[in-house]
Amino acid sequence: MTDTTPDLVPAPATPAQNSLLVADARTRRRNAAETRFRAYGIIAIGLAIAALVWLLSTIIADGAGAFRQTYATIPVTLDAAVVDPKGNRDPEEMKKVLTLSYDKLLITGMQDYLAQEGIQIAGLSDQDVKGFLSDQAKANLRDAVLADPALVGEVVTVPALTSSRIDGYFKGRVTAEQAARDSKTSPEQLQLADALHANGALETRFNSDFITNADASETRPEAAGLGVAILGSAYMMLIVLVLALPIGVAASIYLEEFAPKNRLTDLIEVNIANLAAVPSIVYGILGLAAFINFMGLPRSAPIVGGLVLTLMTLPTIIIATRAALKAVPPSIRDAALGVGASRMQTVFHHVLPLAMPGILTGTIIGLAHALGETAPLLLIGMVAFVQDYPDAPPAGLMDPTSALPVQIYNWTRRADPAFFERAAGAIIVLLVFLLIMNLAAIWLRRRFERRW
Amino acid sequence: MPVMWIVLIVLMLATAGFVLAQRRALASAEGDARRLHSRPAYYGWNAALSALLPGLLVLGLWRMAMPPSAVMAAAALIAALAGVAVALRSTNADFRARNRVEQVVRGLLIVCASVAIATTIGIILSLVFESAQFFRIYPWQDFLFGTEWTPSFGGGSELGMLPLLWGTLYISLIALLVAVPIGLFAAIYMSEYASPRVRAWVKPAIEILAGIPTIVYGLFALVTVGPLLRDWIAQPAGLGDSGSSVMTAGIVMGIMLIPFVSSLSDDIINAVPQSLRDGSLGLGSTPSETIRNVVLPAALPGIVGAILLAASRAIGETMIVVLGAGAMAKISGNPFEAMTTITVKIVGQLTGDNDFASPETLVAFALGLTLFVITLALNIFALYIVRKYREQYE
Amino acid sequence: MNVMANLERKLAQDDIKISAREVQVFYGEKHAIKDVNVDILDKTVTAFIGPSGCGKSTFLRCINRMNDTIDAARVEGKIVLDGEDIYDKRVDPVQLRAKVGMVFQKPNPFPKSIYDNVSYGPRIHGLARSRSELDEIVEKSLRGAALWNEVKDRLHEAGTGLSGGQQQRLCIARAVATQPEVLLMDEPCSALDPIATSQVEELIDQLRQDFSVVIVTHSMQQAARVSQKTAFFHLGNLVEYGATDDIFTNPQDPRTESYISGRIG
Repeated sequence: MTDTTPDLVPAPATPAQNSLLVADARTRRRNAAETRFRAYGIIAIGLAIAALVWLLSTIIADGAGAFRQTYATIPVTLDAAVVDPKGNRDPEEMKKVLTLSYDKLLITGMQDYLAQEGIQIAGLSDQDVKGFLSDQAKANLRDAVLADPALVGEVVTVPALTSSRIDGYFKGRVTAEQAARDSKTSPEQLQLADALHANGALETRFNSDFITNADASETRPEAAGLGVAILGSAYMMLIVLVLALPIGVAASIYLEEFAPKNRLTDLIEVNIANLAAVPSIVYGILGLAAFINFMGLPRSAPIVGGLVLTLMTLPTIIIATRAALKAVPPSIRDAALGVGASRMQTVFHHVLPLAMPGILTGTIIGLAHALGETAPLLLIGMVAFVQDYPDAPPAGLMDPTSALPVQIYNWTRRADPAFFERAAGAIIVLLVFLLIMNLAAIWLRRRFERRW
Repeated sequence: MPVMWIVLIVLMLATAGFVLAQRRALASAEGDARRLHSRPAYYGWNAALSALLPGLLVLGLWRMAMPPSAVMAAAALIAALAGVAVALRSTNADFRARNRVEQVVRGLLIVCASVAIATTIGIILSLVFESAQFFRIYPWQDFLFGTEWTPSFGGGSELGMLPLLWGTLYISLIALLVAVPIGLFAAIYMSEYASPRVRAWVKPAIEILAGIPTIVYGLFALVTVGPLLRDWIAQPAGLGDSGSSVMTAGIVMGIMLIPFVSSLSDDIINAVPQSLRDGSLGLGSTPSETIRNVVLPAALPGIVGAILLAASRAIGETMIVVLGAGAMAKISGNPFEAMTTITVKIVGQLTGDNDFASPETLVAFALGLTLFVITLALNIFALYIVRKYREQYE
Repeated sequence: MNVMANLERKLAQDDIKISAREVQVFYGEKHAIKDVNVDILDKTVTAFIGPSGCGKSTFLRCINRMNDTIDAARVEGKIVLDGEDIYDKRVDPVQLRAKVGMVFQKPNPFPKSIYDNVSYGPRIHGLARSRSELDEIVEKSLRGAALWNEVKDRLHEAGTGLSGGQQQRLCIARAVATQPEVLLMDEPCSALDPIATSQVEELIDQLRQDFSVVIVTHSMQQAARVSQKTAFFHLGNLVEYGATDDIFTNPQDPRTESYISGRIG
């Protein structure tokens, strides 16, 4: 302590010059900087929240229409001479009658209805009446008759799907000016729509078909539904759950509880951390090359999608599980080992049950990510147009299906703007599923939260 | 599905083995379970695992190598039976069934942990193998340094990667310019200023952005942001008339990355010890001076790591660019023009009907390899920095 | 300052620098400090002693309003520094802390160079007009903290690379460089070995010539060695306050006596 020279210590500033009650200029400047800095933080948070609100509100505004659909309820005479030319009410025979014939029945029914109600619209052509209803309407009518041959000869009033343009007119998507320019719609059709609406023969109501129907072709967005896609996603989630949860938990138990500190363990750890950050599309390439080209599994099948998503979800589950295992205090392990349990018994009897809520929370969040993943599924052929529902598992796991996010992607690729409404509507369905999963995760975490 | 039946039979064998072994063990101890080395159930498990593992292993290997047949079924069942027989023979009071079962379970745990390595090897093999095919028919110099991307399935394609790399990097840069300031300032405000009540609401709200699937952002870019930028900025300023553009994809991707940057930065800022803040505040700094001069410099390596991870995310992101960026491969500085990225072209070349002998299809694997190498390098570097940073304050 | 004034300052050693009246501190529901009244003198080392959890550190943190940084803490009563109530709402805690410096229990150098550590305070408060003035302040402060000879050749190396005792003296130099009038020390030696402790204690004795030093310690020997005044805290109350010699040789309160004779604490 020889270098202590107290004289060199700066003398205290004289008290008089800086009263604490008056902020000096420098302090005022510094405080202004402080306020600005805080404001940047608030602005940043405001922007983030605004982006969230903007995103969700546009999607909901765009997609809400998909859950409502416009139907025309007009009486149609199922002329026996047309639908059952042989007259024996045999569904096999009646299948030979094509949908084209039913189209005529619908048009006739519509024209009869107009005449009967005294609705007259100048310049309304037969073509306009034909295009007023969806192509799907005649197919639906045919299906109804084939399912119940007793209807032949009767007058039925089945709700018939209107075309997407007429539907769009009632949802504000199509205006009279647009209709005039659009070759597929005429102003007369819109007048007809108004007239029928005034008569109560046209109504826009909740559309459960959107959830249950299969996809429909390019020309009939009004009939497209999510049924196959939801089933396909459900199958894949089943595979992910059955494979990723046990494998992920087993891997975590090994790494957290048993692994010796050596090169192999390090390698596995680095691997898992990197796999969590590999772009999802690379997993799609893996699926295409390994599962489809090399192992010969079928394209578009939930089994391939499920395997790809399993590999993608594993790192998430492993990371969450290891955190949950780490959170169990060592004293629990010591206590079990102290009464003579083996390490394996300690883990399976004590540590694992205590870590279970954390593991399940992580698994649900991993599943939620997998459910929304699109890119890898594009590469394994799930973009294919699939109209048939898959069989029940396990056989159905090999059937071609779609998946929710891929269905959304498909619809955004189609020309008719009505498909954008469908896509946004499908996003709402997807987000509802995700919301439910995340709420379940939050509930689990709250319900079983443990403080050591 | 005959395979299902074989699995069921093997399962039944295992169950039978479980019951028999348990009985046999008890019998060998004259019914006194205390004389057994292990609890009776362990003898059962030993027999059950001895049936399951050989049976399913034979089945799985066979199924991978050749189509199912009656011989396969027989082989699997014989393997399972043999396993049970061996296990039953060795079952007696002195047999260390628990140790044996634990060894097997430990082995299974190791196998599960190795799935991670198998996945990486699978990724590398599938990328390298198919890329090698590609480079056999297309010179690698032209791929890596070519500035033209004009694939035509009739032949004579130019498959230069540079325009795709340019689009990828340009969009990622814009995304980071959006996400880093917003994410970082949000994280700073939440960890240093916000009251617990505000934090309890704002943090989960921002993290909702992270839970939204990228296809949703893609549609948002396509339907909302793209037309908005085109009608209000690009067209009035004469910069272009495309809704899909670098700007569209970049901004939307930036929004997607905000929670990624903010939650990583939040963790990292919180890891800076309170004593450093106290030291600075005790000297009379304002909170913002403390953050700028002490907390951020201390957290800098971690934050750089977080930004690199975000960059890797941006480079590998697919759906937003597929729907928001466009498909025109070009090198241009105008951010309101449509450009395309590596991931867009991977999707483009590999969806639909593929001919795995043509360079136009195989190039997707070379692009995948490029993407994998870039993101892997970024990830390893970022994880290394973050890990180093964590150790510093542990 | 002329010679007369200097003399006057020396004579006025009994000046009251800080006086606290009826100070209460609450941590949420917990009443951590109850009715503390104390006068702290200028150019004096005042020690706060007492069993752990008695509130001595909490009270110390009231003096430069470090408790403001804890959301749940609430302070009532009056603490007057040079005639000004530091809890007056016009007072900027930033200005206050420049005047009342603090050294913490665990050495907490910033992860910067030694030079940057010491120059941090002068920089944010704008105490130096030029680089050379700043260099001067850094050197003075490091000399003042008896660290100059050990670090003068490596001023631009990381402060975190120093030994524990050196780190704590660096933190003292950092506090001194801001040119405070009061220096608060919260168990500054608790993380140090005996040799480093004696160095810091010697330093505290030197610092008394220029500052009013308040030190919290749980070592009674340390309090006896370095302080002129001692305050004994127990369960949030200030039990006894007086000249250090009196407290240790002739305590008035039975609780103080029990503590210093080792029966409680």
